Amino acid sequence: MPSSNMQPKIRIDNLHVVYPGRRGEQVEAVGGVTLDITDGELVCIVGPSGCGKTTLLRVLADLEQPTSGAIQMLQSNPERPLKGTVFQGAGIFPWMTVEQNVAYGLKLRGVPPVERTATARHWIGEIGLERFAQAYPAQLSGGMQQRVGLARAFAFDPEVLLMDEPFGALDAQTRLLLQQTLLQQWERRTKTVVFVTHSIEEALTLGDRVCVMSARPGRLLHEVSVPFARPRDAIALRTDPRFSTLFAEIWDVLRDEVDRARADEVAG
Amino acid sequence: MNHNRWLSLLSPLVLVGLWELAVQLGWLNRVFFPPPSEVFQTLSQLIGSGQIFRDAGISLLRVGLGFLLGGIPAVILGLLMGVNPVVRALVQPLAAAIYPIPKIALLPLIIVTLGLGEVSKVTTIAVSVFFLVVLNVASSVLQVDPRYFEVARSFGARRRDLFWTVALPASLPGIMTSIKLGMGFALTLIVGVEFVGAENGIGWLIWQSYELYAIDRMIAGLVVVALIGWLITVALDELEYLLVPWQAASVRVRERRMREHVRLWWPTIRPWSYTAAIIPVLLGASIAAYDGAIDWWRLFLTIVGSISIQLGTNLVNEYYDDRKGIDKVQVFGIGGAIQRGELAAWQVLAAGLAAFAVGSLIGLYLVSVTGPFIFWLGLFSVATGFFYTAGPLALAYIGLGEIAVFIFMGPVIVIGSYYVQAEKLSLPAVLASLPVGFLVAAILHANNLRDLDIDRQFGKRTLATLLGRGRANIEYYVLVGGTYVSLIVTVLLGVAPWLTLITLVTLPAAIRLMRIVAAETEPHALQPVLRQTAKLHMRFGSLLICGWVFAWLIDALGYL
Repeated sequence: MPSSNMQPKIRIDNLHVVYPGRRGEQVEAVGGVTLDITDGELVCIVGPSGCGKTTLLRVLADLEQPTSGAIQMLQSNPERPLKGTVFQGAGIFPWMTVEQNVAYGLKLRGVPPVERTATARHWIGEIGLERFAQAYPAQLSGGMQQRVGLARAFAFDPEVLLMDEPFGALDAQTRLLLQQTLLQQWERRTKTVVFVTHSIEEALTLGDRVCVMSARPGRLLHEVSVPFARPRDAIALRTDPRFSTLFAEIWDVLRDEVDRARADEVAG
Repeated sequence: MNHNRWLSLLSPLVLVGLWELAVQLGWLNRVFFPPPSEVFQTLSQLIGSGQIFRDAGISLLRVGLGFLLGGIPAVILGLLMGVNPVVRALVQPLAAAIYPIPKIALLPLIIVTLGLGEVSKVTTIAVSVFFLVVLNVASSVLQVDPRYFEVARSFGARRRDLFWTVALPASLPGIMTSIKLGMGFALTLIVGVEFVGAENGIGWLIWQSYELYAIDRMIAGLVVVALIGWLITVALDELEYLLVPWQAASVRVRERRMREHVRLWWPTIRPWSYTAAIIPVLLGASIAAYDGAIDWWRLFLTIVGSISIQLGTNLVNEYYDDRKGIDKVQVFGIGGAIQRGELAAWQVLAAGLAAFAVGSLIGLYLVSVTGPFIFWLGLFSVATGFFYTAGPLALAYIGLGEIAVFIFMGPVIVIGSYYVQAEKLSLPAVLASLPVGFLVAAILHANNLRDLDIDRQFGKRTLATLLGRGRANIEYYVLVGGTYVSLIVTVLLGVAPWLTLITLVTLPAAIRLMRIVAAETEPHALQPVLRQTAKLHMRFGSLLICGWVFAWLIDALGYL
């Protein structure tokens, strides 16, 4: 639940990201995004593909530098890591067992071995992979690997969790199950989440707020507050009449942008 | 895929067989193409004199030293090049320029500067390994997916963490590959290096054989080089398994398939039947030892040959049992993998024939050392093994199974093994083999007793079905009793040493078995009799061999 704290957890102020394109031209990926995110909020960002939403997330994760504008992220507990990331396509290390992968962030933080193994075990249990704790990723299916990626982020326990289309590459059923898992874990231990996706359903299922981004250069076009009560059920939500109303509202905004992104791709 | 694996096993065997044949028939000139049997003989002489171990050992030492001296710095420098652009810029052009020079071309230069001794040989190998490994390691670090570095950084990894938790483990598979490549290089090179100015080593052996025009020795040297290469490959694969277990995770699927294979083949090769093939061989050899002749190399070959023939027999039996539909309703199925569709009939037959081929090759070698007697004995054995269930007059199906087994798993193998050692015949050896013959026949008969009712129902003729239950029981007593009677007679005749009487400790077990046979007719109750008879054969046989060996040792001590 959004806290009453006056200062936002994350403040994005007129953020621009420009990088050189293939022919030496300047490509503006993010074109002036301003957004405040409250502590404990789950914000979903949707937009047409190539709209710069991933770039935005990468800037938040410190993997890229903004060209102009600023980002502020408030750390409330110096004992806890400020941010952690779940990557598109798991990004788990093939040379580590499931347990080692899940414990990775803790190891870098200097958590002693016994404690980090216990924490890792706990999260492996939460995602239902006890039997595979000592398996290597090559032995797991794509969905299982993505669960390991989730467990790794949860075990790291950052104040801000950045998620970049984590379920994008999965089939519909696995996706639903993982959304359910994420909802359960997030509702149990609230943290600020920025979740990037191209799926409107996913954004509505998970988010407190859905931000719609424009085609490149990405700007915020529209914001929707999602009214569904928590705890949520990812499947039951679909039958709520408000779900389709909101879906239509977002799609209206998005359709033009998708068309524009298409046209850009054809032209460029 | 399975076809291919079999073909890859069969083709070298066929080639060796054809080669042997072509030389023996005079199609190939023996001077230029010594037959495999001759190469084998030369090789065993080289083994016997220890020369091959000395030369192979020295070559391996040179390779190992050069490999460590070149390989370890190369891995370290390669890793540095991979993670540090400055080091890369400094080293890369130089390494890339030197890398394509065939390192053997550097040998004269190295000899000029370092002399003809060991240092120049080891250096040549070290240098060539170094340049190969350094470039490969560097490029495998550079090929690590940059995503992994980002993931690590997002969890707060520092430079040091990036190296130890990402760069190093992620490039380990590549490092292993370059180590394997480097080792292949080093092996190729060592032979060349030893051609020039060496006084020992496997390359020297080959070159010297060339100068002496000893082509059989030359080929023997080549065989050893191939063998060493193969052994090193296996060792490096194991190392890879240890260092890169996640790579093995995908390999594990293959391994599971391997295990599956073993699971399917295991009952089909009837693993419990091999003591019956090994015991008579050991008995013959221990009798020969008692008579003062023992050659361990020949004994080893005889055991391998005997196991191969037994394996071939089992597999061919499996194949023909299936074709004749005999095992269809077998209650205690030994094998039956073909009927269950787990193995293809042709696979079983091909494996059986391959086993016969191995046994025959060993036999041919033994013939070449001991003369034609073993040839006829072997031919007879193979024929019996084959026609045991194959052919129109399959011995097993006309009630002659026990007699065939008695003769071939008893006296014939014992005499053969004795002859291979002593190169003569001996009546005492024949007599001393009888107890083992009785017992091995008893094993088969226990099987037929158990299956008596079913065999009769399906018209399979065994001695048991021909005799009927009552007389078949008597046959069992005769076979088991005959074991002990024949043993005591041989001791009383002074043929066997009195120490062989220690086998009598198995008598209570034998009597217990006869009691069960007298009381039971149910297959389930007779099943343990089969197993226990086989066990009795093994215990009795081992004790009998011990008796002969102890008698031999006591004699030998007496001479001292």
